[in-house]
Amino acid sequence: MRISTLLTRNLTWYWRTNLAVLLGVATAAGVLGGAALVGESVRASLRGLVLDRLGNADFVVTRGGFFGEQLAAEMQPAAPLIVMDGAVTHEPSGKRAAGVQVYGVDARFWKFQGLAGSAPGGREIQLTAAVARELGAAANDTILLRIPKPSAIPLETLHGRKEDTGKTLRLTMSGVVQHPFSLRAEQGDVRAVYVPLSRLQREVNEAGKVNTIIAAQGKLPAVSLADMGLRLRPVDGVGCLSLETDSTIVSDALADVASRTARSLGLRVQPVLAYLVNSLRIAAREVPYSVVAALDGSPAPAAEDGIVLNQWAARDLNAALGDAVKLEYFVWKPDGQLHTETAKFRVERIVPVDAADRDLTPQYPGITESRSLRDWDPPFPLDLGRIRPRDEEYWDRYRTTPKAFVRLSRGRALWGTRFGSLTSLRIFGGAGIQPAYGEAFRTALESAKMGLTVIPVKAQSLEAAQGATDFGEYFVYFSFFLMVSALLLTGLFFRLGIEQRKREIGILRSLGFSASKIRAVFLLEGAVLALAGAAVGIGVALAYGALIMLGLRTWWFDAVGTRLLSLHASASALVGGAIAGVAAGLGSVAFALRGLQPATPRGLLAGVEITAPGRWRWFAGAIAAGLAAALVGAGAAGRVDPAAGFFGAGTLLLIAALLFQNAWLHTRRLIPIRGLATLGTRNVAYRPGRSILCIALIASATFVIVSLDAFRREGSVEGTGGFPLLAESVLPLIHDPNSASGRAALNLPPLEGVQFVPFRVRPGDDTSCLNLYQPRTPRIMAPPSTFLRTANNPWLLLESKSADGAIPAIADANSMTYVLHRKLGEEFELDGVRLRIVAALQDSLFQGELIISEENFLRLFPDAAGYRFFLVNAPPGKEAEVTSTLDEALSDYGFDVQSAPARLAAFHRVENSYLGTFQALGGLGLLLGTIGLGAVLMRNVLERRRELALLRAVGYRWRQLAMIVLVENLFLLVVGLATGAACAAVAVAPAVSVRGGHLPVRSLVVLLALVLAAGMLASFAATTAALRASVLDALRSE
Amino acid sequence: MLEISQVAKQYPSARGPLTVLSSLSLTLKRGDAAAIMGPSGAGKSTLLYIAGGLEPPTSGAVTLDGMNPYQLAEKELAVFRNRKIGFIFQDHCLLPQCSVLENVLIPTLVDHGSADDVVRARELLGQVGLADRLEHRPAELSGGEKQRVALARALIRRPLLLLCDEPTGNLDEASAAMVADLLMELHSRQETVLMVVTHSAALAARFPLRYELRHANLYPAHA
Repeated sequence: MRISTLLTRNLTWYWRTNLAVLLGVATAAGVLGGAALVGESVRASLRGLVLDRLGNADFVVTRGGFFGEQLAAEMQPAAPLIVMDGAVTHEPSGKRAAGVQVYGVDARFWKFQGLAGSAPGGREIQLTAAVARELGAAANDTILLRIPKPSAIPLETLHGRKEDTGKTLRLTMSGVVQHPFSLRAEQGDVRAVYVPLSRLQREVNEAGKVNTIIAAQGKLPAVSLADMGLRLRPVDGVGCLSLETDSTIVSDALADVASRTARSLGLRVQPVLAYLVNSLRIAAREVPYSVVAALDGSPAPAAEDGIVLNQWAARDLNAALGDAVKLEYFVWKPDGQLHTETAKFRVERIVPVDAADRDLTPQYPGITESRSLRDWDPPFPLDLGRIRPRDEEYWDRYRTTPKAFVRLSRGRALWGTRFGSLTSLRIFGGAGIQPAYGEAFRTALESAKMGLTVIPVKAQSLEAAQGATDFGEYFVYFSFFLMVSALLLTGLFFRLGIEQRKREIGILRSLGFSASKIRAVFLLEGAVLALAGAAVGIGVALAYGALIMLGLRTWWFDAVGTRLLSLHASASALVGGAIAGVAAGLGSVAFALRGLQPATPRGLLAGVEITAPGRWRWFAGAIAAGLAAALVGAGAAGRVDPAAGFFGAGTLLLIAALLFQNAWLHTRRLIPIRGLATLGTRNVAYRPGRSILCIALIASATFVIVSLDAFRREGSVEGTGGFPLLAESVLPLIHDPNSASGRAALNLPPLEGVQFVPFRVRPGDDTSCLNLYQPRTPRIMAPPSTFLRTANNPWLLLESKSADGAIPAIADANSMTYVLHRKLGEEFELDGVRLRIVAALQDSLFQGELIISEENFLRLFPDAAGYRFFLVNAPPGKEAEVTSTLDEALSDYGFDVQSAPARLAAFHRVENSYLGTFQALGGLGLLLGTIGLGAVLMRNVLERRRELALLRAVGYRWRQLAMIVLVENLFLLVVGLATGAACAAVAVAPAVSVRGGHLPVRSLVVLLALVLAAGMLASFAATTAALRASVLDALRSE
Repeated sequence: MLEISQVAKQYPSARGPLTVLSSLSLTLKRGDAAAIMGPSGAGKSTLLYIAGGLEPPTSGAVTLDGMNPYQLAEKELAVFRNRKIGFIFQDHCLLPQCSVLENVLIPTLVDHGSADDVVRARELLGQVGLADRLEHRPAELSGGEKQRVALARALIRRPLLLLCDEPTGNLDEASAAMVADLLMELHSRQETVLMVVTHSAALAARFPLRYELRHANLYPAHA
């Protein structure tokens, strides 16, 4: 005889109880493992999705602008492509789809990705299934594709072409893309179109150039300055090199690298800012449309307000030294309008025309290459009537040679932009410096990461596939009540088993077994059961995980937005769940054994029930109730967030109620026995521990289900900020749609009562709960400062300055917490810039982005042109009309107007889906609780078989006995349901009254009635089972 | 030697402490066999459990072989009971899940026992006439047989003190006589201190020492 023999005997003899314990552990382990499996499965699905969509693209080579496609040939295997945003219109139906990704591809892309079929050619366009579905398009239909027309010159500068920002291509749909490609780590459908690369290059005037290369390796070949949008050329007759850019503007960072490189080679640098002024004026005389160069050194003036004129200009103006010269010029300002400004100078010197050269002025399209001044086609108003024959003569002879010179610092102050304040740099150092300087400069640019960028897109996407939301964690939370129910039942069944064997324990004690030895034997039993339960739990985990994945693809689709999630059996999740199940099972067994402590061996032998006095429970209940009242008060007074305060109060109230009930049951001072019903309620107090556990199970699950339902948001429009509409545009709007001149430039008819709040946008990852991937570079938006001032004060926090240089940002509270995983005051690093979250918006439209001030935005992202997001105010009842007018009038911009409440509702649907998930799993917990209640009841009835038989012997009928048992069960059920529902009502009071939440009375009543019915059924089954035996057998039974 | 000196036992009750035993003293030497009689509720079982280290007295002392079990720590007390005391209860208290042999061997599990334990268990079961029922479960035995298993179990560790609480209370006359015979025989063979609580005058009559528990104290009983 060994302990193991005793163990085996115990396990097999009490197999019914042990099976219940085993199933309890299996449920807990299965739920935990299944929840972890869901997390792993979502991650694996996201990984699979991103790998599938990226295909062979491990790396992406990109730049703000275009570069030679030949680089792809040097990076083999690789494919060059043009990637841009666009909008498509299905011509036959007029249906539009904005925000579509446009890929310019050719056979190289097909080969690189190993795709079947052939790339689109000629006027063909291929649509992904999602876009084809959205448009209702079929093969051979005509598709109008609107794309931005890229411009190296920033739109928001004097020379930016603001009226010519897009282009429409008329194409024929040749088919649906079978294997959609996407560089974006998003789980939604790929909304993209494929067009022939050569056609796209032609349409955007970038022959032989692309803006993206996808490659299987990330080693970049030597990149020429031209591929970086730079030119370094010798200036004839001056003996220097001129560094210019495609954008005509040299940014401060670029100038810094160029200057440092020059200095490192012992070369001299002369920064130059050339600007076209509308007039040079002295008194009544003026010279129209002249280039003024701002520079240091010859021939610049010495004084800050000095100006040097060339002889031609001086003669034309009849200028003398010391004369006041007034410069009039256009400046493009961030308000989306051209402003005419002036500056005054004093003539300091007059120099020959050849003191400067025409190469000081960069190549301005529409100007530099013109044969005459009258042929100029600048992107700003030009009064041809002011141009005189002598001006044409100057153009013929000297072209863009500056007529005047000012100091660089003055020029920068007048004409500098956020993009930079130089137009070229001149490098002096004698003949033959170009090769050495060119190479050194190229190297310096690469090390400063200012050339082409190689992005390890696959690695980054896989990292993002770890997910913004740990679904495993969420489902552990969601399954919490299910798990707790299972564990409580495990403990309860084990406890029942122990209670059943109390006499046995007493015998062992009398035979010399110490309490610890007996506990060890029971723990060993528990361990075996927990291990077996955990093993069974692996199967349960797979089933539970599969069920949840099915739920995510179907019932809770809104929470994930994709049907491409599937179950991935992960050993680590299953083993983890099993281990946790064993630990939790053992924990609940140990907790159950704790109750044995106070019993003496004699008490155990005699089957004495140990009932601790309930005084501490009254006391603890009173404290919990007091705290609940305090929280309600604090919530009502606004000292704490009312929703949180009341929810906390409800929870405390639930604890208090359970403690009071526990204490009451322990006093055994229940209602006197006056009939069958009261006899039934008396039984409730016979085993108060069991009864309170049943009440707690039912009450907690009811509390969760009822309270969560009130947090559903349906129809709430508070988060729209009062704006009925919002809009996004594919092409940026440079002009202000609120001003008459802006509307004229946009060809927008006057719309009475319609106001726009334009936001600057830096495209990036969606930070809303609609994106399952972890956002790496969140979308950033910036409203105009006037909006910050008209809005509530917290918005002004965006304009605050922090000593450590962190940029203040505002995020949606949900996005901040659940997607970015940040708290207020924490930071988010974005390309080396620290964004600090200074405020969070509750239930807002801005869940997909971070918001910063316009000033900071322009500083951080100077290249992001214009406005691409708009809040639109429209008169009530006119929303549909305004939507259609704007969609129509601004269709060239890919303008897409949506209902703001509808956008908010989409976010709410996600939230509601999560709540629904929580509730559904809470409901399962409630079901388990009900089953547990039935089992406990069965046990109680079986234990009282002799008592019931006695009652039968003295004349009680079956129906009367059933009534006694039913009343007992009904009492537990009703008390549990009522306690949970009442405490939940307190918890959700503010949500119901303030946040527009509601109580879905009908569905709750149905649910609670079902629980009641299940409980009643269990009682009936228990009574039937107990009374099946004959009276005599029952009376004789031990 | 079992020495019970000045033992008192009170239980708390709603109407104040209920005195069950008061200044009770009793000394039994190795080989002594005493029967304790008395009306129900007189405190006979309480006295037995106090003597057996299962229930501490409110006051007074109990020593067995010079050792006061109530001065021992819980684990040592358990070992003390295992080594020095054997119990027999009115309703046998066998483990239903274990066989007859296993039930007898249960006390040996406390300290892993020795190889001889099985031999001794078989021998004891032979002595109580159950050599052919070793693998039977308690449910397959009659009341008298169960009590004989309980007797074998009580003696497996060669206890000094054998305590029996109504050992024949649930048995018919013939079975009771058989159990009593075995009890006396094994007691004399093993020279234990035997203390039996019983209502049965027939059983008590077989004991050289007989006491009656009345008014919370022991008095010599008349034949």
